[in-house]
This record gives sequence, structure tokens and C-alpha cells, in this order.
Amino acid sequence: MTPDEVAAAVAGGAVVLDLRAPRPFAREHLPGAVTMQFNRADLADRAELVLPRDVPLVIHAEPEPIARVAAELLAGAGFRVAGRLDGGLAAWKAAGRPTVELPLLDVDALRARLDALEVLDVREPFEFRHGHIPGARLLPSGDAWSRLEEVPVDRAIAVVCGDQTRSAAVASMLQRAGRDVRLVMGGMVDWLERGYPVEREPARV
Amino acid sequence: MIFKQIRHEPLAQASYVLGCARAREGVVVDPIEDLGVDFYVLEAADLGLDIVAVLETHVHADFVSCARELAETTGAPHRLHEAARGLVRYDLVPLADGESIRVGQVEIRVIHTPGHTPEHCAFLVTDHARADEPWCVLTGDSLFVGDVGRPDLLVGDQALDVMDEGERAARQFASIRDRLFTLPDHVEVFPNHYGGSTCGGVNMSGKPASTIGFERRFNLALRQPDAEAFARFVRETAKPFPDDYRRIKSINLGLTARQKATEATR
Repeated sequence: MTPDEVAAAVAGGAVVLDLRAPRPFAREHLPGAVTMQFNRADLADRAELVLPRDVPLVIHAEPEPIARVAAELLAGAGFRVAGRLDGGLAAWKAAGRPTVELPLLDVDALRARLDALEVLDVREPFEFRHGHIPGARLLPSGDAWSRLEEVPVDRAIAVVCGDQTRSAAVASMLQRAGRDVRLVMGGMVDWLERGYPVEREPARV
Repeated sequence: MIFKQIRHEPLAQASYVLGCARAREGVVVDPIEDLGVDFYVLEAADLGLDIVAVLETHVHADFVSCARELAETTGAPHRLHEAARGLVRYDLVPLADGESIRVGQVEIRVIHTPGHTPEHCAFLVTDHARADEPWCVLTGDSLFVGDVGRPDLLVGDQALDVMDEGERAARQFASIRDRLFTLPDHVEVFPNHYGGSTCGGVNMSGKPASTIGFERRFNLALRQPDAEAFARFVRETAKPFPDDYRRIKSINLGLTARQKATEATR
């Protein structure tokens, strides 16, 4: 699809699914895009977990072979694939279309600003119980699309998972919903490696 | 570190995808056209890596490379040792001996190992997440498991060959003895070929990896007392020439257009 066709599809309700890595996604992406990790082995399973089936998808992946294969895999899993963005981000920008940025935080910055942020942990309940950032709220990534409105609106949100795979997906959904959101790079792996404090109480859902 | 040896059995050729899981960046080494650009793009994506450089140990004579096309598709630089610059007819970003390429915690150090070809390099890999000592070396067509890369794949044009067979043999002997066998014993050896490949001799093992310590003790070619005996041994244990090697080399030098294989089905 050309950038104009993608823009028209989005205006008609399609969601751009961005399959690039978290860093390039955070640097610059199409407004409203939702991101997910690409992997031939489990793309369809991940999509089934976090995305609704009734929404048409426009695939943005680079380079092109990934977009083609992702479109086939998702269509094969029963998703409505409206098409894919030809020429990627470069073509989109060349057409004069806007992009947005997703702010990143590392765990040091997160710890320093813990009082000012709502920490949203999007791992599974068993992982959360095993140890989470004090005060964090649990919202498993698979529930995020349908339960975004449960996330408090009074503070900026910092989204955390084990690394940044699931958190990037949920952060992109929150940003799409107009929320003030930060993606925590390195996640609980980095947090624990630094020896920062964790809570082990039962989940506050 | 993420490290994958990709073995293309019909030619007993090994290419590599390696990189840093945390940085999500990696490099591809010695990609082969028989597998193709899409194969490497998807393989790297499955491993969670963005390809940030396409490296070649040398200009190959026994398989058609897809390094240029892979670099074009991914926007990553195509890198060969600077000695290739006067030989190839395309743009590349030259590699220098001793240079380090860093992808996250993984360091790839260039060791110029002329012999099989004048521009040949080995790539010494250190995963700083594990240790500051090297872990493995991609030896291309210098040191093989049980054998060495042959010095006699000449195209018959002095300007392109640069060194004759005798000089190549002497340089190969010195490169392996002085530059690879001086690495620590524990360093793993990952070659560009194994087993039945015609880029080496009859002693090439079917096992696709070894260690510096094992090869230093048991590699027959390098057990020869001097460069002359080495050259004689390599000639006597050589296999027949690879099919069509002059044409393949000419394609990889950019002198001959590649016949496009059947366009990937879209």
C-alpha cells in the first residue's frame, strides 16, 4: 500500500501493526501504530494473545521480506490483513506524513522517578508474584487491549515486562489511546541485575 | 550472545548470523546466494536481530555470494578487507587489520589472514557479557577443521590474483601459524567450509567446528615443518577444483553479472 492508501485505511479504522524492534519503533513510528515482536515461530500466537481479530491490520515491517511473511502468517491465522506499507518509514516520510516518538526510560531513570510514575507491569501473574517493582500494577499483556481504561489517568505510565517485548506492545496501545506513556528498556532483568528493591506480595489487579 | 551457524549442505558451506541479544543487533558473515537475501533477513529477524553489517571473510570462488544484495536490502554496509578494494567492481566499506566491530556486548575483531586470497580475514569474536577473552573465531577459508583453504584457486589474471600459488601457500602457512595459532587454546574455530567442500583438501573433517588448541595439535597441514613442506603437502592432498570456480569468482568480484535465479515468488 502507498502511504496515502495506508492513511485512508487507518482513517477507516485499520490499525498499523509495526513489527520493527523496540528501539527503532520508539524513535519514530506511524501515529496510532501498535508494535509487536516479529518471529516466524510465534508471531501468530503473540498476535492472538494481544490483538483483536475484527480489526483490519496494515503491516509495517522492514526490510520488505519480513512484511510479506508477516502478512501471510497473520492472514493464515485468521486476522484481517488490509495490506502492508510499501517502502517502510522512508516512503511514509517522503509522502510528508507525520511520525511520533515513544519516550524510553532505563531502569535507573525509572527508579529515580518512581514517585511520579504509574508502573504498569504487563507480565503474567505468576511472574508478577515472583517479584515486581514496589507499587506496580499488574495488567497482563493479553488483557491490555480490552482493559486499557483501567489504567489510572492521573500520572504518566511506565510500562515494564521482563525485557521490552511485551511492554513495547502495551506501551504502543496506551500511546494510541492518547496516554502519556514511557517504555522501560531492559525491564525486570535489568531491575533485578541492579539489585533494586522488589515486592513479592500477591498481585494488586 | 546470539550465534548461529547456517550450514548449506549441498556445498558444505557455512555462513553465520551473530549478535547481541540485548542490543538486538547483529551481523551476517559469508551469506550464500543459494539460500538468498530473504533467508538471512528472516533468520536474523527470528533471532531478534537487526542486521547492521554484512561481512565477508574474502571474495569467494566456490559459491555465489549474496552479500551485496543483502547489504542493499537491509541498508547495512558490505564489508571486506581493504585489499579487496582494487579487485572488486563495487562499493564496499573496507575492513582493516585489528579493527573492532562492536554490536552491543559482542566484539568482532578483524585478523588479516592472507593466503587463500590476498584480502582474506578471520573474525575473532568476544562476548563481553561473558568474558573479555575471545570465545570463537570465524576462520573463513584459512583454517579448516583438519585442513586448510587451498592456495591454488587462481583466475589466471595477475591483476586479480595478485599472488601466485607459491606465495599464497607461504602466506597461508604464516597466517595460520602466526596469527590464528597464537590465539588461546579454548577459542572455538568456525570455518566457512567443512566435509566435502572442494575449497580444502582430503583431510577436511565433516565436523563443522573445532578449537584452536585441537587444530594446533592435530591439523596435519600445519604439522609440516616449514612453508615449503606445507605447500607440497597441500598440493598432494588437494581435491579436484570446485566446479566453475573462475566464473563464480568473477561474479563475486563484480566483473560478471549474476544470472538471476528464479525470482522469489511473491
